Amino acid sequence: MVLKEIDSNKFRDMVRVATHRMGRNAEFVNSLNVFPVPDGDTGTNMNLTIESGAKAVAQNTSTSVGDLTESLAKGMLMGARGNSGVISSQLFRGIYKATQGMKTLNAQELANAFSNGVATAYKAVMKPVEGTILTVARVAAQEGANKANETDDVEEVMEAIVNGAKKSLKTTPDLLPVLKQVGVVDSGGQGLLFIYEGFLEGILGENFADRYQPDEGEMDEMINAMHHQSVQTQLSTQDIKNGYCTEIMVDLTADIPDKKPFNLEEFRNHLSELGDSLLAVSDDEVAKVHVHTEHPGDVFLYGSQFGQLGKIKIDNMRIQHETIVNDSDEQQESVDFAVIAVASGNGIRKLFESEGVNRIISGGQTMNPSTQDIIDAIKKSGAQKAIVLPNNGNIVMAAKQAAEVSDIPVGIVPTKTISQGLTAMLSFDPDLSVEENVDSMTEDLDTVVSGEVTQANRDTTINDVEVHANDYLGIIDGDIEVDNPDLVTATINMIEKMLDEDSEIITIMFGRDSNKKQAEQVVAGLQANHDDLEFEVHDGGQPVYNFLVSVE
Amino acid sequence: MAVKIKTKNGLIDISNGVIATVVGNAATSNYGVVGMASKNAIRDGVDVILNRANYKRGVVVKSEDNEITVDVYIIVGYGLKISEVSRNVQDSVKFSLKNQLGIDTRAVNVIVQSVKVLDE
Repeated sequence: MVLKEIDSNKFRDMVRVATHRMGRNAEFVNSLNVFPVPDGDTGTNMNLTIESGAKAVAQNTSTSVGDLTESLAKGMLMGARGNSGVISSQLFRGIYKATQGMKTLNAQELANAFSNGVATAYKAVMKPVEGTILTVARVAAQEGANKANETDDVEEVMEAIVNGAKKSLKTTPDLLPVLKQVGVVDSGGQGLLFIYEGFLEGILGENFADRYQPDEGEMDEMINAMHHQSVQTQLSTQDIKNGYCTEIMVDLTADIPDKKPFNLEEFRNHLSELGDSLLAVSDDEVAKVHVHTEHPGDVFLYGSQFGQLGKIKIDNMRIQHETIVNDSDEQQESVDFAVIAVASGNGIRKLFESEGVNRIISGGQTMNPSTQDIIDAIKKSGAQKAIVLPNNGNIVMAAKQAAEVSDIPVGIVPTKTISQGLTAMLSFDPDLSVEENVDSMTEDLDTVVSGEVTQANRDTTINDVEVHANDYLGIIDGDIEVDNPDLVTATINMIEKMLDEDSEIITIMFGRDSNKKQAEQVVAGLQANHDDLEFEVHDGGQPVYNFLVSVE
Repeated sequence: MAVKIKTKNGLIDISNGVIATVVGNAATSNYGVVGMASKNAIRDGVDVILNRANYKRGVVVKSEDNEITVDVYIIVGYGLKISEVSRNVQDSVKFSLKNQLGIDTRAVNVIVQSVKVLDE
């Protein structure tokens, strides 16, 4: 039975099914969104755009396809959202222009409409980027045009258009490097494919599956994109709330005692209580789950009520995190030369990372990392050579021991404070050898004066300074020099002692027990007497020390 | 006028020409933007589409302490949703400045100087 033309009823079906299909899969398309701005809204935008078009079609009572394509295009234009939405609206504008005045569409007219859509869409872009929704639309229209030369069956033409879109979507990662890096196909192209598939289902008049189920490969793509996005938000490892990336497959056909009937919606709802980044898909035979959770066991237990557990995978993301960060597009090559720093406090971590440190070992203020911790960090960096910044006098020895037993060349820059560590990092050059780096990084250490402010825990006298419990102490390069009951005053007095005529830049990192306002008071107090100094204030977030100060 | 970023090593000074190039490239990569226009419509004419070397004539940069405000003058294809194209320009300009230059943008003002009818 050959279908020779699309009438207005058929066209209404096409629009309705396509809109439904797009809406069902908006989340999936969002999960792929990494280009041009990785904000994860492509699916939402395309969905709102086509919905607005579908609404306009529903309100138009005409029995002529040409009138309905016009409503669709105008509705989409009014409701266009995001780049993908604007492109889609323009695509359908071209389709409407090519079908003006037509009561029905035959195979040739359908193919022409899609071709004209593409021609119109390409006109409104200065620099067409290949590997995007435009590419997918173009290849799809070409396949449709080829098919229309062979047959007058509109089903076959629409099918060729869908297959062309599918084929082209698969090639998008080869055309657009950012997609390849993340391991996904283009999100806008995927959205367009859903719409085209919906058109085909509408023409076929089949009871389309109510929910599109991604296959294995697509599920992996979604997982890749999701992990990529969590890296893009630049979480630091200790910010990971749900540490285990857990995947299970449940064989729903298996006979087990007390088997519960499976319902995907319920299944999803329950799992979403157990963690985040949930992806769950199923067909009649198998359910596949990906979730980030602190309790993988709960996921297994829950899943095993519905059938046998097939494939199981657990990754500890806290351990993986650094690796993923290294794989992310900021660092496309794996590091050959790693710098490992001991530090605590989120802000201080970020400062080190922004200067190019690859791995941070927690500690240095309250708990000193062991030789083993340092060896592990060197191993995990996967580098060929490494530099370690202990940033604390008590850790230098442990670092030196780690260097001795390491399989790769490791240099230790004997930094005693965070400030020294940050300064040393400025001289790091990955193209030089370990020895050359240790020399150049050590050379600058004495240009920095480091100050630390903390609270005294008992009365004592050190260096002729009388120390009272709960007073604030100013420690300059390891020696207690200042004692004052007021934090800001103690800090100002300490910095005054650190200054000489060569001092230029003062960096102040406020810690967990102090705040930006106090840091600003310190700056204001000093600026009154020194108008030639430059101040930098950072949120270090470090424990124990209210302020870490460096003077250069 | 340029953006100055203080680092421990000294000052990084990013000239307005560089910022204009980044802004212009980000803006013109958006679907529906058919060209950059001159901010000086009286002298250069409303419909003149700037070539890449002249993007800075369509970009105004005002900077204050590591944050900037940019005005972008664009030409949009006729028959597109201009408000949405402008919004996309804002998003991508903001993203590119942060991504390529590390600059935070306080505001991106889009000025649509004209629309171009694309022959259909």
